[in-house]
Amino acid sequence: MKRMRWLIALVAVFSLFAAACGSDGDSSSDGGGDGGDTTDDTSSSGDDGDDGAMEEGGEVATDFGVDAENKVIRVGVNGDLTGPFAALVNEIVTGQEVYWEVFNENGGYKGWTVEMETLDSGYATDVGIQNYETLAQESEEGVLMITENTGSPITAAIAEDAADDNMLVIPLSWASLWPDPEFGATILEKQATYCVESINGVEWLSTQVDDPKLAILGRPGEYGEDGSAGAKIAAEELGIEIVYDGTGAVAGDDRTGVIAELTGSGANIVWTTLTPGELLDIFGNAVSQGFEATWSGNTPSFSYPVMMPSDFAAEFDKYYFQSAFNAPWGAPGTEVIVEEMTARRPDLNISDGYTVGWIEGIMAETLITAAIDAGDMTRENMVALATSGLEVDFMGLSAPQSWPNDYNDALVRSTWIFDVDAEAFNIIPMGEATPENPGSSGLIPLEQDYIGTVAADYVFDGPCIEPSS
Amino acid sequence: MEDLLLLAQASASTTFIQTLIKALALGSVYIMMGLGFVIIFKGTQVLNFAASALSMAGAMFMSILIADGGIPFLPFDNPLAPGDGETAGIPLWLLTIAITMVLAALFGLVIERLAIRPMIGQPLFAMAVITLGVEIAIRPFNIDATALEGRSLGVPWGAESWSLGDALVPKSYVAAIIMALIAGAIVIVFYRSRFGVAMRAVAFDQEAAMAQGINVARVFQIAWALGVALAALAGIAYGMAPFPPGGSVSQEIHPVLAFRVLPVIVLGGLDSVLGVLFGGFAIALAEVFAGQYLSQYGSTLGPGYSTIVPYVVMLIVLVVRPFGLFGTPEIRRV
Amino acid sequence: MAYRRPLLRTAYEQDAAILPTWFQRVAFFLLVFTFGLAALGAPFLSGIPSFFLGNTWINPITNMLPLGIAALGFMILVGVTGQVSIGHAFFMGVGAYVAVSLGGTGDGGWKACVPFHDEVGLLETAGQCGMGLPMWIWLPAAGIGATLMGILVSPAAVKVRGLYLAIATIGLIFIGLHLGRMLPEYAGDFESGRKWPKLQFKFWQEETPLVDMTSDGKWFGLIHLTEEQKQFFFLFTLLLIFGVITKNIVRSRTGRALQAIRDRDIAAEVMGVPEFKYKLIGFAISSFYAGIGGALFASYNGRVAPIQWSLFLSVDFIAILLIGGAGTIAGTMLGLIFVELTPEVVKKFTEWLGDQVGGGGLVGWFADVLLTQGPGDFGPISLTPAAPGWPMSVFLWNFVIFGVLIVVFMIFEPQGLYGIWVRIRNYWKGWPFSY
Repeated sequence: MKRMRWLIALVAVFSLFAAACGSDGDSSSDGGGDGGDTTDDTSSSGDDGDDGAMEEGGEVATDFGVDAENKVIRVGVNGDLTGPFAALVNEIVTGQEVYWEVFNENGGYKGWTVEMETLDSGYATDVGIQNYETLAQESEEGVLMITENTGSPITAAIAEDAADDNMLVIPLSWASLWPDPEFGATILEKQATYCVESINGVEWLSTQVDDPKLAILGRPGEYGEDGSAGAKIAAEELGIEIVYDGTGAVAGDDRTGVIAELTGSGANIVWTTLTPGELLDIFGNAVSQGFEATWSGNTPSFSYPVMMPSDFAAEFDKYYFQSAFNAPWGAPGTEVIVEEMTARRPDLNISDGYTVGWIEGIMAETLITAAIDAGDMTRENMVALATSGLEVDFMGLSAPQSWPNDYNDALVRSTWIFDVDAEAFNIIPMGEATPENPGSSGLIPLEQDYIGTVAADYVFDGPCIEPSS
Repeated sequence: MEDLLLLAQASASTTFIQTLIKALALGSVYIMMGLGFVIIFKGTQVLNFAASALSMAGAMFMSILIADGGIPFLPFDNPLAPGDGETAGIPLWLLTIAITMVLAALFGLVIERLAIRPMIGQPLFAMAVITLGVEIAIRPFNIDATALEGRSLGVPWGAESWSLGDALVPKSYVAAIIMALIAGAIVIVFYRSRFGVAMRAVAFDQEAAMAQGINVARVFQIAWALGVALAALAGIAYGMAPFPPGGSVSQEIHPVLAFRVLPVIVLGGLDSVLGVLFGGFAIALAEVFAGQYLSQYGSTLGPGYSTIVPYVVMLIVLVVRPFGLFGTPEIRRV
Repeated sequence: MAYRRPLLRTAYEQDAAILPTWFQRVAFFLLVFTFGLAALGAPFLSGIPSFFLGNTWINPITNMLPLGIAALGFMILVGVTGQVSIGHAFFMGVGAYVAVSLGGTGDGGWKACVPFHDEVGLLETAGQCGMGLPMWIWLPAAGIGATLMGILVSPAAVKVRGLYLAIATIGLIFIGLHLGRMLPEYAGDFESGRKWPKLQFKFWQEETPLVDMTSDGKWFGLIHLTEEQKQFFFLFTLLLIFGVITKNIVRSRTGRALQAIRDRDIAAEVMGVPEFKYKLIGFAISSFYAGIGGALFASYNGRVAPIQWSLFLSVDFIAILLIGGAGTIAGTMLGLIFVELTPEVVKKFTEWLGDQVGGGGLVGWFADVLLTQGPGDFGPISLTPAAPGWPMSVFLWNFVIFGVLIVVFMIFEPQGLYGIWVRIRNYWKGWPFSY
């Protein structure tokens, strides 16, 4: 008899669903404006969806992901909100969310506003692909473009479909594959690539020591191999001796072998293409065994929220230089971000991640406003606009960029180099920041928009790595 | 020439000492975690798949107590926390560990009451799946609390080392070894006590133990309290630099700790304390020494080959001795 | 069978029938029709609350079907033979790699398919291994490859029992992941994997496939289907076929022998059921299912990274089996639907709840209590990302709810969903004297 309670609970849950069902009609019309018409639109656009453009609301042609009646544009985020990169991605997505809030509150553009649809992939490829299918569906439920897609693996998995669907995708990944029109025709890589970052980084490192001897540490896979490939290009061009080549050697939970090889190599500069956890382990152990060198690495290798609370903060301050693609929190150029983020999310901590979200927002806004001006907001025209040489000005957050159909021309060659300052590190909620105590991620720019001699002149005839078929 | 040879020998022995200490320290963490597994298994016949989330939660408690000025949800400040920019002294740090373990034990009691007690008498695998559910349910809280910042564990000696000749011996490694030895000693003494005997009786036959007047529910409670406290201790020890999380609670590294300990408890035998003590050191020695001394064959063995060394050792041992080295063989009857 | 049916059977044929009762027959065909119609987007579905609606459902449901085939294999091994293995994902991976080696596109020719060819180095491989063969070769081969691997490990697995076996098979997973890193010529890139052959029937390597499942169009000149619907119907048919095969295995001589081993292995041996032989058969059958399931799963997803064949996939199968009810096909299917679709339901439900805030009525009040609208509101769920501390983001709550559901299910119904059904059935069978 005791078991019957379970049945009763089940019945209760079902009745709850039934109640939900009952009030469904009113609520959807609350959210979506006027219910009846919306359904009509959907069915009609479904019928003649193949014909493409559907004239609505006057002069702007639209197809999918745009509610022409209410002048709402839908953009999508396929982010890792619960997986290994959740810490960073949550901040970036919040940055972009606030960007659109500001955009909409300023009246949007010619009356058009933007609505963001956020999905979580957890960094799992199959979930990421399903999310893409959801976002790419050819109806009003779909989105006009994907303004953030976390990670190389998921971007690689959807690249071909995105090209077929005319879906613009801004990847959260700097793999050197994306500027290649053959590989990702609609993937709008932002800023420099890992490969270029490594070339600049190694060149800069080599100026910091006498008689540089380079050790390369990388994880297997596109990210690691891309970063290591760049380091090797720089070493070859500059004539630096590579004393340990650990390309693809850092994997698994036990890294004793790599640490042994590194500490025994006699290197005095180290270039890493790792995750923060891997870098913390290898760096910490190497330093603890008395290994001294100047370190740097590709962007996500060093993460101040992970490194600074660790017991190696002082050592990172001493030996490590951070390479990056854009300005840190509070640097000149980020004043608007600081002001708007502080006003709208005072409870959240200051972070460099919001800037990336704003950069994605600026890219998307430039494209969308250009499409509105051109009077054609179909996905096809968005792609045409993006590859037409349209230049996006990031207002000092990062170097201006355009996406012509030529690999060598499309590349951005400038990166930033930061000093790690453990003393200055002071993460506080944005609402508590004052002019005397503004808070800092502990990253002090040493070089802004740095272009080394190698990166400036190197002719790339394609990505630094082979894409896996 | 002779000088060079001497130097090479000296540096070889330095490497050996450093490797040995690292292996012993890693083995100590495995032992603390493994003891948590074994106590829960022996007392309640549950293989605790929630150990990863629980040990990380324990390390989180520690971090909140020692590193944060305030206590979440409560208006008053944490009296234990050192001031801004200071680190705790060793006595205060040890006291905080003790408080953390008590908190973890209470947490274990809550889980036992809510999720395990209703399942007494159910099949082994149903219980294991319950702990999987607990793991899935707790992990998001850990992620949420660590997501945006690593959390310092406030280790008083940080990443400092002692010099032993040319070799550098991190203080944390010595501390981990001492913690494991104390934990092992306490568990062995506990096993010899009246309560330990009751626990073994329950493990042997729950109904018969109940008929003898043993309070089975109490045994369940104690086993979970102790098991979760030990998991928390392992989580804290594993957080000390230069263990991979480098003195903090890590979202990337802590969540997989328990899975790395499974070979240890299988090697020793699921229900053997001595087996864990032996298995922990054996597995860690194999893992660390393979990593250190086979590293020049890294490209042949594959990246991160040392990670699978424990599993290979485990499989070999299991084929020879199906119940581990010290485990109780199941008596098969018709 | 764990449950005594209050039915009188007068012939062995009745006992061994695939669907022994009229209710099961009706329920089975209803289920097939519902899924079929749902996939076609039949209009009667509009009565379902909005969070159940939308054509976004067909992707998670189709994704679930290959896992269903693998889950049936897991059921045979764990539920019928009684050998708890956590290495199922490993065998799925083996099947998938066999499939991609035979059916995928490769640039290295035959040479790339021989591991350790010239100089043994990791990232210097002779390109990728792929023969470009059609599906009627790679799909059965995936099953056979996994079966061979299953037979290879079964001598060791027969020796080890109980929880020791479960943990030992975790070792297989980690070794499999390591091999995936070591052999990129089969597995592809460590992070992004490689492309799997598409789901399409070809005679040989001709340009236009006989039956195409990767573009919209008419099938057999009869019915216009989208790409997703085609894939759904293909995989659904395969799942049905494997369901029937499973039922036939379970009710045959082999199945009875496997159950005898599960119930008491020594007793079975005394009765003339060789333990070693049948444990090996159990492993072989289950690996075959896993191989087919893995190949189809990878092929449906198009691109799979080596990390996919991890412990968590295996854990999914354990949850499927125990939540559904071990040892029955119907239970396995119920568990599959629960485990694979609950996160989706929770996600859609919270999204839908977000629209109800301020809507008034019971639902609006419910939404107001659960969701937070900025500081000062104590709702535990935050609909925005980047919510460190309290309240937690909805994406994390999905996991909490899923974990709690597992715990609650197992506590209140350790026999799984199938057990609930049995109890309801018995209640009504005995009505009005049900106690």
